[in-house]
Amino acid sequence: MNRPELPRHVAVVGAGLAGVSACEQLRELGYDGRLTLFGAEPHLPYDRPPLSKDLLLGKQTADEIVLRKAEWYAAKDIDLRLGTPVTAIRPDEGRIELVHGTVAVDAILLATGGRPRPLPVPGGDHPAITVLRSLDDAVALKDRLAPGVRLGVIGAGLIGAEVAASATVLGCQATLIDPAPLPLEHVVGAEIADLLHSQHRANGVRVLVGAVASVEDLGGAIRLHLSDSNETVDCDVVVVGVGIVSDDSLAASAGVAVNRGVLVDSAQRSEHPRIFAAGDAARPTGPDGPLPNVEHWESALHEGKAAAAAIIGAPEPVRPVSRFWSDRYGWHLEVVGEFRGEVVLRGELGGESFAAFALVDGKCVGAVAVNRPSEMKAARRLIERGLPVRAGHLADESVDLRSLVTGNRTPAGGPR
Amino acid sequence: MTRGIDHAIPVCSVDELQDGEAVRVPREQAGTADDITVFNDNGEYFALNDTCTHASASLAEGWVEDGQVECPLHSGAFCLRTGEALGLPAVTDTVAHRVDVLGRIVFLLPDESQLTDGSGHEPA
Repeated sequence: MNRPELPRHVAVVGAGLAGVSACEQLRELGYDGRLTLFGAEPHLPYDRPPLSKDLLLGKQTADEIVLRKAEWYAAKDIDLRLGTPVTAIRPDEGRIELVHGTVAVDAILLATGGRPRPLPVPGGDHPAITVLRSLDDAVALKDRLAPGVRLGVIGAGLIGAEVAASATVLGCQATLIDPAPLPLEHVVGAEIADLLHSQHRANGVRVLVGAVASVEDLGGAIRLHLSDSNETVDCDVVVVGVGIVSDDSLAASAGVAVNRGVLVDSAQRSEHPRIFAAGDAARPTGPDGPLPNVEHWESALHEGKAAAAAIIGAPEPVRPVSRFWSDRYGWHLEVVGEFRGEVVLRGELGGESFAAFALVDGKCVGAVAVNRPSEMKAARRLIERGLPVRAGHLADESVDLRSLVTGNRTPAGGPR
Repeated sequence: MTRGIDHAIPVCSVDELQDGEAVRVPREQAGTADDITVFNDNGEYFALNDTCTHASASLAEGWVEDGQVECPLHSGAFCLRTGEALGLPAVTDTVAHRVDVLGRIVFLLPDESQLTDGSGHEPA
């Protein structure tokens, strides 16, 4: 592909992490043209991970979880248009449409994120049934989570697990429902998934395996009926955390290829030369078709940066190894790379802290840890740099994992 | 006013702080509002306020390399020399402090703006 002409006006649609990351990187890369960031919500762009944790717990306020302060956008000459949803895009004409008026643009980054998947059962639209995606969702939920409140959590993934944990701290009676007996098993293996899931019961959460078949209105409260059993759960409030649906509607309406996300290449380019997509709104494609979308925080951060580079024709940045974290019941879980191959344990599984490494052909390809953030820093570098490691060293607590990385470092003063 | 080396706090010997390592000086000892962490990056010594400005993790547990420290919790990074926050999620700069090595001892000279004994708040 030829180097594209530099755009004079870049519109970033969607002011979540991917959109803000793209704006930051566009300026970092020296783009000095017009840059407009459209956010549908009225709030300054904020960080989502605290929504299910510190914000619910009252440890952080909405002001404290902004990605950047208002002054930053002014200093970077970013025209931040909050409360301004984009209603349509016209890529061939180089225009985007707002509720009132249209704007001429040369490049469009779609960073519209995703919407929580609703509960597709009779009664699933009852007002006691909520989701947790936005700041407004979190603030509304926080108001409802008082001591003694019966909370149903449907879906025991990261959001569900964290909400159940936070609600327990707030004195709620939480019930966690998921059809999978061991959530995260495919990500961290059965043993660690079991440890993580057992935390719920150990902290007083009722854990049920099953799917919700219907919702009965009890007048204020609701009763969840589970399928394949006579089990029922009475709740004052329910949080549904069963994944998101990629918001690709702007691209789809414009005739740009989508398939549960705007289809993009590894540089975040869609099939239309003026349209790029990043974060949960984007779906990567490989040689064999669409790939699973990675919906983690660092993925959105990276894809925003990669899109910024593609928009101005800069080299594609190297994708870091995938990583996510989750906090529940005082456990800081961190997962990097892929957990497959030979598993090497470091520390005592189920102890206060431990790590497990996945080795393939003498190299680390993935790692999972609880309360060992520093070691995960080392693991990430072992993976990214493809450094050879010995299982015995990883298992030996007396070996500082940093030495396994820096032992391979070029000596100071030598060629780099 | 400039505080001289007589106000410096001996931290450790150079042998106790290897490349990539960090040592935390408690705020009581440093006389500062936050703990201070002293880093060795490839033979150079630096010091920053210990608490990550993003989410309260200890930078002493961070990863030190290429003039930066990466926070252990969420990978926000800071410039060891200046304390500048180097991008999301770290967006608020932290404070850098002076470090001197005399003989084989690493000394910390806390930035006056961070002192809690009042000497940091004198009129200019």
